[in-house]
Amino acid sequence: MSRAPLVQRIAEWLIRAACRRLPAEVRAEHGREWAAELPAILDDQSIRPPLRRALRALSFCAGISRTTRQLRRSARAGARRATLRPAPAREREYLARRAVIGFVIWVVVVLGFIAVISRRPGPPGWPAILLFAVAAGFDAFCLVDIARAAQVRYLPKWVWVLICLAQTPSGGILYLSIGRMRRPRPAPPANAKS
Amino acid sequence: MKLTGPLERVLRVMIADPSAPHYGYDLMKAAKLASGTLYPMLARLQEDGLVDSEWEAQREDAGGRPPRKYYRLTAEGLRVARLELAQAAAAAPARQAGYGATRPAPGSTR
Repeated sequence: MSRAPLVQRIAEWLIRAACRRLPAEVRAEHGREWAAELPAILDDQSIRPPLRRALRALSFCAGISRTTRQLRRSARAGARRATLRPAPAREREYLARRAVIGFVIWVVVVLGFIAVISRRPGPPGWPAILLFAVAAGFDAFCLVDIARAAQVRYLPKWVWVLICLAQTPSGGILYLSIGRMRRPRPAPPANAKS
Repeated sequence: MKLTGPLERVLRVMIADPSAPHYGYDLMKAAKLASGTLYPMLARLQEDGLVDSEWEAQREDAGGRPPRKYYRLTAEGLRVARLELAQAAAAAPARQAGYGATRPAPGSTR
């Protein structure tokens, strides 16, 4: 791999980056398919001079990036159709329950914060540092959760990220209570089904 | 299936020799398409069962080249492609005739 020309390595890296948009189960296969096209482009003697071949390889990668974006969009549209169909009434009830729980947690957190603040007037000491660390950890937890989620509810992922960062901890609590989707359970082993 | 211009070009290439497998760059060159147009189209065709793909077996004479993925029309794909292209061909002369008829004759006042 290290013997490959620089352009090829750059192009392979671009393809890997584009493939990160795809679901994990098809990522490797698409990545291998598109990386295998690169030698054909870079050795294409009908394109001259070699610089044009390099540019062709890079524009190929740009097209791959467009392709993965489109595949992700159609996969999401399919997932949305699939999630919206079953039992919307049960889903509403589930969401309302989560919203109430989230609100209660938010009230407890805010009241607790006010209690801590009012008990200790004066310069902030180690409790403030502790509080800050907990808040930063909570933010980090929410951001990681958003990044790992296949899909989030109501808003695009980046809006949820802004909300979480803008209003600690209310934004994070809001995300966890209504923005987070249930994770699909890991598929049962194949032999359990038969 | 809506027959767009790029799709028509891909189908023409694949139908020229239905049994011949094509890899992505091969199709890009033959149909003069960008990768960002071709691969989403191949994914859709494959999802619809019109196109089949298989990995190239690793050959000794490949010179360390990674195996390619080859695409081929399925029987259903061949049927649909012939139908669509025939319909497009039937519609095209009519369009051309209509266009020619509305064009002002040379030397006319318009």
